Amino acid sequence: MPLFEGLGSGGEKTAVVVDLGAAYTKCGFAGETGPRFIIPSEIKRAGSPEAVRVVQYNINTEELYSILKEFVHLLYFRHLLVNPRDRRVVIVESVLCPSHFRETLSRVFFKHFEVPSVLFAPSHLMSVMTLGIQSALVMDCGYTETLIYEGVPILSAWEALPMGGKAIHRLLWLMYCLVFNSLLVFVTDSIPEDVVEDIKVRTCFVSDLQRGMKIQEARFNLDGSAERPAPPPDVEYPLDGQKILHVKGAIRDSVAEMLFEQDNEEKSIATLLLDTLVKCPIDTRKVLSENLVIIGGTSMLPGFLHRLLSEIRSLVEKPKYRDALATKSFRIHSPPAKPNCTAWLGGAIFGALQDILGSRSVSRDYYSETGRIPDWCCLSTPLPDSVYEAGKMPPPLMKRAFSTEK
Amino acid sequence: MATLLQPEKVLYLVRGEKKIRVPLSQLYFCRYCSELRSLECVSHEVDSHFCPSCLENMPSAEAKLKKNRCANCFDCPCCMHTLSTRATNIPAPLPDDPTKTTMKKAYYLACGFCRWTSRDVGMADKSVASGGWQEPENPHTQRINKLIEYYQQLAQREKLERDRKKLARRRPFMPQAFSEKYGLGTRLQRQRSGAPISALYGLSLKEGEDQKEITIEPAQALDEVEPLPEDYYTRPVNLPEVTTLRQRLLQPDFQPAGASQLHPRHKHLLMKRSLRCRKCEHNLSKPEFNPTSIKFKIQLVATKSKFGVNINTAPKATTHSFPRQTLFTLSGLTITVLQCVLVPSKELVLSGKDAAAEYDELAEPQGFQDDPDVVAFRKSNKIGFFIKVVPQREEGDVTVAFKLRHDFRNLAAPIRPTEEGEATSEAIWLTHHVELSLGPLAT
Repeated sequence: MPLFEGLGSGGEKTAVVVDLGAAYTKCGFAGETGPRFIIPSEIKRAGSPEAVRVVQYNINTEELYSILKEFVHLLYFRHLLVNPRDRRVVIVESVLCPSHFRETLSRVFFKHFEVPSVLFAPSHLMSVMTLGIQSALVMDCGYTETLIYEGVPILSAWEALPMGGKAIHRLLWLMYCLVFNSLLVFVTDSIPEDVVEDIKVRTCFVSDLQRGMKIQEARFNLDGSAERPAPPPDVEYPLDGQKILHVKGAIRDSVAEMLFEQDNEEKSIATLLLDTLVKCPIDTRKVLSENLVIIGGTSMLPGFLHRLLSEIRSLVEKPKYRDALATKSFRIHSPPAKPNCTAWLGGAIFGALQDILGSRSVSRDYYSETGRIPDWCCLSTPLPDSVYEAGKMPPPLMKRAFSTEK
Repeated sequence: MATLLQPEKVLYLVRGEKKIRVPLSQLYFCRYCSELRSLECVSHEVDSHFCPSCLENMPSAEAKLKKNRCANCFDCPCCMHTLSTRATNIPAPLPDDPTKTTMKKAYYLACGFCRWTSRDVGMADKSVASGGWQEPENPHTQRINKLIEYYQQLAQREKLERDRKKLARRRPFMPQAFSEKYGLGTRLQRQRSGAPISALYGLSLKEGEDQKEITIEPAQALDEVEPLPEDYYTRPVNLPEVTTLRQRLLQPDFQPAGASQLHPRHKHLLMKRSLRCRKCEHNLSKPEFNPTSIKFKIQLVATKSKFGVNINTAPKATTHSFPRQTLFTLSGLTITVLQCVLVPSKELVLSGKDAAAEYDELAEPQGFQDDPDVVAFRKSNKIGFFIKVVPQREEGDVTVAFKLRHDFRNLAAPIRPTEEGEATSEAIWLTHHVELSLGPLAT
């Protein structure tokens, strides 16, 4: 029986854990309590003044390869300061990541940096690992999309909505253009995105349910009969040391409403959760609704969680969900990390399990033999043994129950 | 010389994973493989760590312990500048006699750029100049460590199961009853790597284990979340008090929203890099240990190998179909024959085609009958020769590409011990593909 050795006291070196997000990348080492660095997912090239985003799904493979190579180079040699060849890699990623991105990334790691092995871990699963429970309903409100996922053991229902921080930025930017036009203020250059992000982080917030409802009514009401609640005070935001941007109070609280507005399909972030619950098998619904986990940077807006809970509770009363869902109790977990690092923390906890990290990763030999990494949506990879024996559960239904509707 | 300030004029083709064209100043020459290497086809390694402000070298073991952060230097949490320690005199009561006061030195951290001080955050002044400042600890550390222990136990069990299965499989003569007892059945596949992570949760703590079991309380979900305080909607925002996203992300464990909770962090280290050829695993570049030294222990850069082509004078504005003479300077170790391969896409009138002029770099420049049309001048180991270039198109940039073939005596390579014990190295022929850009055509 191998004795339990402490981390780092001999044996393998700690693995590198990377969470490549659309807006920010969290990187660090396994077994630690937080990422070492949270850096924006972009690289600066000599040619263009603007930074190039790393996580892009629409560019061709060569370009993506060189961007990813440069980015991972920065990660290793400026932030982590370790040799790539010595340590295994755990990549925490979204399940909806396209295969071609994942393959390019693994090619960068294996061919260029020659890491010993790579493990792709779904971010939602990893967040559940930080809690010590068996299953949960995880919602990731990130930059490009909001994605819902169920924890182990069965991954069957997922929902996504392309609404996240990026949409908020765009809305804020548009609102600014409108404001400027109406006030006839001459703006020589448009506001760069990081300024918009800063404005969002520092001044915007999510109002509670009643106030939010009133704001939405006031916005969509054409005859002007609905009263808009009194806006919060304006903020003067200095730009460049010379100009001052007046952030109107009305903008501050209405921007986040966009996440909770129901669009033509009656979808908002809150309905995402309820729709997922409806999709799940009946016996799991109660367990899942009482174990909600919200991760992602956008969920760190002040007032977000409270508003989300109240929205869910009010939506459950609506006829659409009242009959479908018998459960009425919703509970939220608070993981031992900030919501934007929770998935990373799960990856770090998993990466610290040196006994099985090796067997579950894709090793460099396997990659050089087969030339590709196993993907959950690819049927040519046979299922592992352990699924059939260790648990007494049926094999994951993900290959058959993969829902094509969003 | 055209290439000192404009290195992109003379490019060498390097055949690595893909072909890239790089100036000679950015290339390395592996003398064991006798090939040019660019930064893309070498493997980079971390050599040594050092602090950028106090320039102190840190051994890697210590760097790992300190999480790649310097022990003495701090970063301002507001503007990321290096903090300096300042001292003031404060009156403090003497330990023996509380009534009398004496001046004692108290130290605090201050930023010279944005005027932030450690007193803004509420950090008390310390009585020692260095070593007194502590970073705050993450409150969730305990819980996370417990989680890790618990999962490690589960992982151990899984490993045991796997090992047991492997051992069982190696005995094919196992009686049927035995295999049934273990429940292996006929579906014996090797565990595939890269499997989706699922079964870890299925391993509940099995009974019969007499080891100490680590249990963990599952996290409790909350029914209610704290709402925003009432005055949030009416309170004016003091923008300097609210941290920017960048300031928050510098402290991933805490990410404070208020500037009064921004604690300084130790300065992150930088590293020196060493390069290694991927094929023969020899070092191409190894810096010195001392952070203040810019020298290298091993430096196999291509410019040191003393071969290269430079454009000496390129006449401006060649028009189409007019052969013009361009003067090139060629410097190398030992050039015996210069052979120019006509690049088929461009019509070059290379008059140096048969210039089989033999010259040795160490010999005196005498006795060489240089064709004045071909060779312009000769100086120690440099030679200038003419190439006539006929541009093919009417406009655009003129690029000349040719293969440069020369022999190379590897004087510094490790000598394989021959029977005679003589240290002669043989000349090997190297071919480089060179591209020269002569500038735009003037109309």
